[in-house]
Amino acid sequence: MIDPIITARGVDIFYDTNQAIFDVDLDILPNKVTAFIGPSGCGKSTFLRAINRMNDLIPICRVTGEMKIAGQDIYDPAVDVVALRAQVGMVFQKPNPFPKSIFENVAYGLKIHKITESKTELQDRVEWSLRSAGLWAEVADRLDQPGNSLSGGQQQRLCIARAIAVKPKVILMDEPCSALDPIATAVVEELIDNLRKDYTIVIVTHSMQQAARVSQRTAFFHLGTLVEFGDTKSIFTNPADERTQNYITGRIG
Amino acid sequence: MIDLTKKAGFGLASRHRAEQRFQWAGRSAIAISLMFLAIMVGSIAITASGTLRQSQIAVQVDLSAENVDPADPASASYGRLIKSGLRDMFPDVTSRRDKKALYNLVSPEGSFEVARKVAKNPELLGGVQTLWLTASDDLDLYLRGKIDITLPEKQRQISDAEVVWIDSLQANDQLRRIANWNFLTGGDSREPEIAGILSALVGSFYSLAVCFALSFPIGIGAAIYLEEFAPANRLSDLIEVNINNLAAVPSIVFGLLGLAIFLGYMGLPRSSPLVGGMVLALMTLPTIIIAARAALRSVPPSFKEGALALGASPVQAVFHHVFPVAMPGMLTGAIIGMAQALGETAPLLMIGMVAFIVDIPDSILEPATALPVQIFLWADSPERAFTEKTAAAIIVLLIFLISMNLIAILLRRKLETRF
Amino acid sequence: MEHEHIVKKFDKNLEKIKATIVEMGELVGIQVNDATAVLSSYDAAEVERITSYDRIINGLNKDIHDRAEILIVRRQPMALDLRKTLAPINISGELERIGDHAKSTAKRAHIIHNAPPEAATLDMIAQMSVIAQAMLDNVIIAYENADIDLAASVRAQDKDVDALYKQTVQTVIETLSKTPENAESLIHITLIARNFERIGDHICNIARYVHQIVTGEDLKASAGPSDLRLEK
Repeated sequence: MIDPIITARGVDIFYDTNQAIFDVDLDILPNKVTAFIGPSGCGKSTFLRAINRMNDLIPICRVTGEMKIAGQDIYDPAVDVVALRAQVGMVFQKPNPFPKSIFENVAYGLKIHKITESKTELQDRVEWSLRSAGLWAEVADRLDQPGNSLSGGQQQRLCIARAIAVKPKVILMDEPCSALDPIATAVVEELIDNLRKDYTIVIVTHSMQQAARVSQRTAFFHLGTLVEFGDTKSIFTNPADERTQNYITGRIG
Repeated sequence: MIDLTKKAGFGLASRHRAEQRFQWAGRSAIAISLMFLAIMVGSIAITASGTLRQSQIAVQVDLSAENVDPADPASASYGRLIKSGLRDMFPDVTSRRDKKALYNLVSPEGSFEVARKVAKNPELLGGVQTLWLTASDDLDLYLRGKIDITLPEKQRQISDAEVVWIDSLQANDQLRRIANWNFLTGGDSREPEIAGILSALVGSFYSLAVCFALSFPIGIGAAIYLEEFAPANRLSDLIEVNINNLAAVPSIVFGLLGLAIFLGYMGLPRSSPLVGGMVLALMTLPTIIIAARAALRSVPPSFKEGALALGASPVQAVFHHVFPVAMPGMLTGAIIGMAQALGETAPLLMIGMVAFIVDIPDSILEPATALPVQIFLWADSPERAFTEKTAAAIIVLLIFLISMNLIAILLRRKLETRF
Repeated sequence: MEHEHIVKKFDKNLEKIKATIVEMGELVGIQVNDATAVLSSYDAAEVERITSYDRIINGLNKDIHDRAEILIVRRQPMALDLRKTLAPINISGELERIGDHAKSTAKRAHIIHNAPPEAATLDMIAQMSVIAQAMLDNVIIAYENADIDLAASVRAQDKDVDALYKQTVQTVIETLSKTPENAESLIHITLIARNFERIGDHICNIARYVHQIVTGEDLKASAGPSDLRLEK
């Protein structure tokens, strides 16, 4: 049995007095794609953002319970949230490249974390990131162009390149394809499949078909609870819980 | 069949009419404002046109060695030499009253002018020179036809005798009108014909420089802290309310504050651009902070979120991503604040920049005056010529303002293209 | 137990497929009945009719295939819906083959008519047909109502059909050795009996598909490793 890289035990998340996540136990396995599915407002994005403590930005949000990454409780006061986010990257729903050049976008993480030591090392790393994201061929001759001169799908791949430049252990993706057209979506899904070899990926998605295509493990959230969590194939062919069945087949109730 | 023509109903006719009415209301409002603007600027400009040229009179001055000591030219009494020169030009002027009228043709500044010319060109010494000296303001007004000759002599500035002399001078080409550069290069004076605006310009410039150097960094820094880092509690709300209120406080209150603290308690030099700039900074800080906060708020939060998710510290995220994007808006706010400061008179009056400053200030610690104050002072003077100088000063102020705005627009455009 | 789909058309599409299967099942049942009847009371026109009706059954098979195809393209069915969409394809295939067996039986009727077998043999075949028709009715009801117990009982009934088949073959072998000149009709009798035996097997398959729709379990496949991870 492989040890999970992220373990959650008894995690509750509150917004002020409203509870958004109820007592979630979850194990994320390394080098696999885990999908979080569920109807709107079920808390899947909230839970995702608890993994890299992006919820800290919301003052009324409170997380209790145990959330460990590689054995360390990330909500321990001794943990430096900046270091955490260098290890756990995030890609957002709407592509958000910085208003800088393509090169600067990818180099930013490397610069602030002082990962590379020389200019050539920086350039090599930027090229490697863009290649890993499948974007190098398209932008190699215009690295100084602004990041937002690219198409939507390219921008999202740029954000992915930016995230993997710092070689995080985990990449969190919050509905990364929902703003993209079908072809760009397919390109990103293919990319996710290739990245699986080197990174652990957790993806929140609204599309059941995407979750079925892209992930090996799927977690179904409903009204803040984790209803069912298991292998993607069995979740989508023969789920154990009736609520899961109703959701994935599009039945009300 | 659907009828897409106007007769189709839907109350189209009256709706289009309402549209047209509103559009015409807008257009006429713009037209009326432009018309008033044109009238105002036009009338000021016409009044100011009087200062465009300066009248000069050619006077024979005897600069031979017996009058002027070549070793010490400054000690000569050039006024006396001018007077004797005038008498030589009009030998039949004998009575005391007539002589006084004759000397009135040349500006009292004339003696200083000769001294300056001699100091600059020592080779003028040793003989009789015909020098062009500034004419008096009355002569200048007469030459421009601004003096009504039909009035009885007692009611006008130029006497009949002077009229005769002036006519003969003109016939002999001893009068001329040249471009009045002195307006822009000289300091203030009691004599309107030589009064210049340079000291006020320099004073304004220094004051604004001090104001900008103080208010911009402090204002931007305060805005960044309050908007991005300060915790959202009652204290922050209180601060925000107070800043908004300060923006509405009458500017003279800041002048009183400056008087009490900067001059009284800290003992800084009175009338200096340093104190003027500090007072103006206090006044513009709220404006800059409010504009900067609005600019920061308008930055899409996705940039900051993306930076933070990448592992940037909050300071890095704000300064690398939010600040550059908000910069154009902040600059615009700063320029608005500066333009406001440029035109403020009341606070400067309180700290003493109302003094009569002739010399051009060399540093921010020397006494100075400011453009709006200069305009205020000149507007107060009874002499007719000062009216024109006032108008000219207003035009200079407007040009200053417009150029500041142009710089702001250019800077903004340059910074925005990167976004 | 089951809720409705949010998209009403989805439910309607699934219902239509089910209704078509039921229709096909009824038609096939009638064909089997008529094919058996024509063995004892031969009528050439009846044989012709039975043969031509087989085309209708084939048409329904195609219809079900088309409906399932469109459902997959439009709705991307998951889990239970997916099983409800794929299984009818297999079920209608089985029904179509039952129809073919009925047609084949009817076509052999005139040979039987020319050289009738012993009454006992025909009787056994008639019994097989009765059981098979009952099985067919039940399995269609089981499909309609998702009744896996009924489906299981249908599978159990197949033993009776198999037993009757063995008996028939035994009888034919005995008769063949006694009266070899009736070889042709005896061979056709055997083939007819074989048709009914096969009909029983096809109905059993349908029962297994009904079980698979409800539980997801494939009774035919041997139990493999319970590791269900997606292979790459």
